[in-house]
Amino acid sequence: MMISNGIEDEEKWLAEGIAGIQHNAFYLHRALDANNLREALKFSAQLLSELRTSRLSPHKYYELYMRAFDELRRLEMFFKDEDRHGCSVVDLYELVQHAGNILPRLYLLCTVGSVYIKSKEAPAKDVLKDLVEMCRAVQHPIRGLFLRSYLAQVSRDKLPDIGSEYEGEGDTVMDAVEFVLQNFTEMNKLWVRMQHQGPLREKEKLEKERNELRDLVGKNLHVLSQIEGVDLEIYRDTVLPRVLEQIVNCKDELAQYYLMDCIIQVFPDEYHLQTLEILLGACPQLQPTVDLKTVLSQLMERLSNYASSSPELLPEFLQVEAFSKLSNAIGKVIEAQADMPIVGAITLYVSLLTFTLRVHPDRLDYVDQVLGACVKKLSGKPKLEDSKATKQVVALLSAPLDKYDDIVTALTLSNYPRVMDHLDAGTNKVMAMVIIRSIMKNKTCVSTSDKVEVLFELIKGLIKDLEGISTDELDEEDFNEEQNSVACLMHMLYNDDPEEMLQIICTVWKHIKAGGPKRLPFTVPPLVFSALKLVRRLQGQDGDVAGEEVPATPKKIFQLLNQIIEALSVVPSPELALRLYLQCAEAANDCDLEPVAYEFFTQAFVLYEEEVADSKAQVTAIHLIIGTLQRMNVFGVENRDTLTHKATGYSAKLLKKPDQCRAVYACSHLFWVDDQDGIKDGERVLLCLKRSLRIANAAQQMANVTRGSSGPLTLFVEILNKYLYFFEKGNPQITSSVIQGLIELIKTEMQSDSTTANHASDAFFTSTLRYIQFQKQKGGAMGEKYDPIKL
Amino acid sequence: MPSRRRALLKVIILGDSGYVNKKFSNQYKATIGADFLTKEVQFEDRLFTLQIWDTAGQERFQSLGVAFYRGADCCVLVYDVNVMKSFDNLNNWREEFLIQASPSDPENFPFVVIGNKIDVDGGNSRVVSEKKARAWCASKGNIPYFETSAKEGTNVEDAFQVIAKNALKSGEEEEIYLPDTVDVASSSQQRSTGCEC
Repeated sequence: MMISNGIEDEEKWLAEGIAGIQHNAFYLHRALDANNLREALKFSAQLLSELRTSRLSPHKYYELYMRAFDELRRLEMFFKDEDRHGCSVVDLYELVQHAGNILPRLYLLCTVGSVYIKSKEAPAKDVLKDLVEMCRAVQHPIRGLFLRSYLAQVSRDKLPDIGSEYEGEGDTVMDAVEFVLQNFTEMNKLWVRMQHQGPLREKEKLEKERNELRDLVGKNLHVLSQIEGVDLEIYRDTVLPRVLEQIVNCKDELAQYYLMDCIIQVFPDEYHLQTLEILLGACPQLQPTVDLKTVLSQLMERLSNYASSSPELLPEFLQVEAFSKLSNAIGKVIEAQADMPIVGAITLYVSLLTFTLRVHPDRLDYVDQVLGACVKKLSGKPKLEDSKATKQVVALLSAPLDKYDDIVTALTLSNYPRVMDHLDAGTNKVMAMVIIRSIMKNKTCVSTSDKVEVLFELIKGLIKDLEGISTDELDEEDFNEEQNSVACLMHMLYNDDPEEMLQIICTVWKHIKAGGPKRLPFTVPPLVFSALKLVRRLQGQDGDVAGEEVPATPKKIFQLLNQIIEALSVVPSPELALRLYLQCAEAANDCDLEPVAYEFFTQAFVLYEEEVADSKAQVTAIHLIIGTLQRMNVFGVENRDTLTHKATGYSAKLLKKPDQCRAVYACSHLFWVDDQDGIKDGERVLLCLKRSLRIANAAQQMANVTRGSSGPLTLFVEILNKYLYFFEKGNPQITSSVIQGLIELIKTEMQSDSTTANHASDAFFTSTLRYIQFQKQKGGAMGEKYDPIKL
Repeated sequence: MPSRRRALLKVIILGDSGYVNKKFSNQYKATIGADFLTKEVQFEDRLFTLQIWDTAGQERFQSLGVAFYRGADCCVLVYDVNVMKSFDNLNNWREEFLIQASPSDPENFPFVVIGNKIDVDGGNSRVVSEKKARAWCASKGNIPYFETSAKEGTNVEDAFQVIAKNALKSGEEEEIYLPDTVDVASSSQQRSTGCEC
C-alpha cells in the first residue's frame, strides 16, 4: 500500500508541476506574441520554478524537465531576435540574473548564454567558462544534474570545435574540451555524492534513482566524442587521462562500471586501439566489485568487430600488441579482484579467446597462451563444480573447434588437454562429445597415431570409467549415444600408409581395451572392421614377400584381431564375438592364410559349443557358420572335412526338429560350391537332403502324436526347392524321378485328413509347381531336363 | 500567430541504425541518452529550425526513458538496408513512438522512412529491396520513403524538405491550454518548497 501510495502521490505532484508549467507557458506565449520581454522573463522564471521540486523521482522529473525544455526553445528563439525585444544580448545576459530563485535564473542564463555565443559578441570560451562556474551554485544532485545536462545540451553545437564557426580568435578545441570535462567532473561528483544523502533504509531506492540518472553524466562523454577536433592526440593526452582520473578517484562502483562502458561505446575503435594501455591501466585501479569482465568483454568485442571490418587493420593490431596488452590487463584484473569468482575469470578468458580467434586466427600460440593462463588460474584448485564455470570452460574449449572446423588444430594446443583435466567427469564427457561432433560434422580425418593418442586422451571420459563415476549410475540411453559416437569416431581415423594405420589401430586398442564390459560391445566391432579394412588393402600387396621386417602384414593384424575379439569374453558377448571371428576367417581366406582362417573357425566353434546356449541364438549362429564356411576356399580337404563335419553335426543336434531340418538342408551347400573350382560332392549333398527329409518326417509324426494333427508341409516344400536347385545345377545324384517321388509324397500328405490346412505352405507348393511347369514349357536344355517330371 | 510557432519543428529519429554527427554514419559510436542538433531548412521562402532528436538505439543508454518524444512534429524511422532485422523492427519503433508520444491524431501523424547505407559493399550486401520498403510505407498510410548512402548523405536534404512540408501541412496541432481563470497574480508560487535555490 505504501508503495502504491508513493506512486500515486508522485503522479499527483507531477500533474501539479505540469499544470504549473502549462499555466505559465500560456502567459509566456502571450508575452512572446506581444514581444514583451519583461513579462516573458517573469513567466519563464515562474515556469522554471516548477523544476525546483524535490519530490519527484528522476523519471518523473525528466518529464517535467522536457516540458520546460520545449518552452525554453521558444524563449531562445525570441532572445535571438533582438528586433522583437530591443535588448542587446549583453544586456540580456545581465537582465536574466535578476530572477529571484537561483535555479530559474541559471536555466535562463544558460539559454541566453547560448544566444550570446551564437551572437559572437563575446568569445565562446568566456561564456562557457562563466556558465559552467555559475552552475556550481546548485548542489542538489537531481536538480544540479538536470541543470548541467541542460547546459551541455544547449552548448552542444556552440563549442569552439574545428570547422565550427565558434573556433578561432583565441577559442580552440582545447577550450571546448576543458569546458565539457569540467561539466563532466562536476556532474560526476553530484552523482556520486547522491548516495550519501538520505537515510540508510532508502539506500536501495537511492541506488535505483542514481542508476536512472546515469545517462545525464554519460552524456558529457558522448559530447566529447562528437567534437571533431578531438583527434587521437588530444584524446590520448587529455580527454582519456582526465576522464579516467575522475572515474578512478570517485571510487564508486556504479559510476566506474557505467562510465567505463560509456568510454568504450562512445569513442571510435581506432582511438581504443591506440590507447589500450591507458584504458586498460585504469582497470586494476577500480573498485574490486566493479564488473570488469563485462566491461572488458565489450571492449574486446568492439575491437574484434573493428578488426573484422577490414583486413588492412591487422598490422595496426600487431603494431600496438593488442593481444599481449589485453592478456596482461586481464591477468592484472584477476589478480586485483581477489574475490572474483572463478567463473568471472574464465569468462574473461573466453572473451580474450574469442578476440584472439577473430583477430589472429593464425596465431595458435596466442590461443594456447590463453588456455595456459586459464590452466594457471584453475590449477591447485579442486575440480570445478560450479555449473556456470564449467559452462564457460566448455565455451572456452569449444571456441577453437568452431573456429578451425578442425580438431587436428586443437590437438596441437598443448594446454588444451590440461584445461580439460580440470573439468569434472560429467563435463569432461560433454566436452568429449563436443569434440567428436566437431570431427563428424567437419569430416575431419585424424591421420597419425600421435594425434589419435592425444584425441583419445581428450575423450577419455567416454573411453573408460573415470574416478567417481561408475557406469552403473549412467542413463542407459545417454551411455549408448556416447558409445555410438565413439564407434563413429573410429571411422574417422585413417592413414593411407598401412604402417601408420596399424599404429593408429594399436593406439585405439590400447585405449579402448580398458573400457570394460559395457563399452567393449560398442567399441570392438568398429575397430575390428577398421583392421579388416587394412587387411583388405594389404591383401593385394602380398606383404610377406618383402621379407620379415615389414611391420604391417595381414598375419600380424590377424594376431591383433584375435586379441581384440577375445576381449569380448569378459562381457561376455559370445554371439558378437562369433560373428567377428567369422568375419576374420573370411578375410584370412581371402589372404590365403589357411591356418589363420582355421584358427578363427576353431574359435567360433568353441564359442558355439561352450557359450552359445540359447536355442534361438544357436540357430542364428549355425546358419552364419554354414554361410561363411560355404564361401571358404582356402581349406585343404582334411581341414574342410573337419569343419563341415562339425557344422553338420551341430545342425543335427539343434533342439527343435524344424530348426534341425533347415540347418541340415543348408549344410548341403557345404558340399556343392557353385563356381569353377568349387567342391561338387553330389553324394553328400543327397545325403544331407535325405537326412533333412527324414527329420521333416519325424517332425510331422511328432506333431501327429502330440497335437493330433501334423504340422504344415512347409518343410517338405522347402526341401523340394533344394532338390530343384541341385537338379538344375546338374548334381547327378538328384534325378527327375527322385523329384517326382517327392512331389507325389507332398500331394498325398496334403490330401491326408490329419494334415492341417495351411494357406502359406499350400501357396508355396502351388507356386513351386508353377515354376516347374514354367521350366518345362521354356524348352531348351532346361526344358528337356524337366520334361520327365509329370505334374 | 501559429505560423511563428511552427517555425521550430521537433523531429525524432528512431531506428536500429543511428544518425550521428550530422550524417548517417557507418562507424559505430553510441549515443548516450537523447541528443539533438538543430538544422535550418529553407522551405517555400521560409526558414525553419529543425530540432533533430537522435536516440541511443541501445536501451542501456536510455536510462531516463523517452519523455523527449512528446511534442514531436515528425518522426523519422531509419533502418539499414543491409540488415533485415532493422527493417523488421520499423513497426516496433513506429508503435513504440505512437504509444510514448501519444499524438492527438496517431492515424495521420507524419512519419518518414529512410533506408540507410545503400552504398555499403557497392549495394551487394543489401537485403531489403526498395520495393519491399515502399510497400511497407504504403501500407502504413503512404509514409514518404528515402534512401541515403552513409558516406555521401545523398537524399538527406530531400528528406528534410519533406519533413518540413509534412510537419507544416498536417503536423501536430499545439496542445491548447487555457488557464481556468486568467489571473496573473495567482501563480504557482505558493507551492514552492521554501528553499530559494
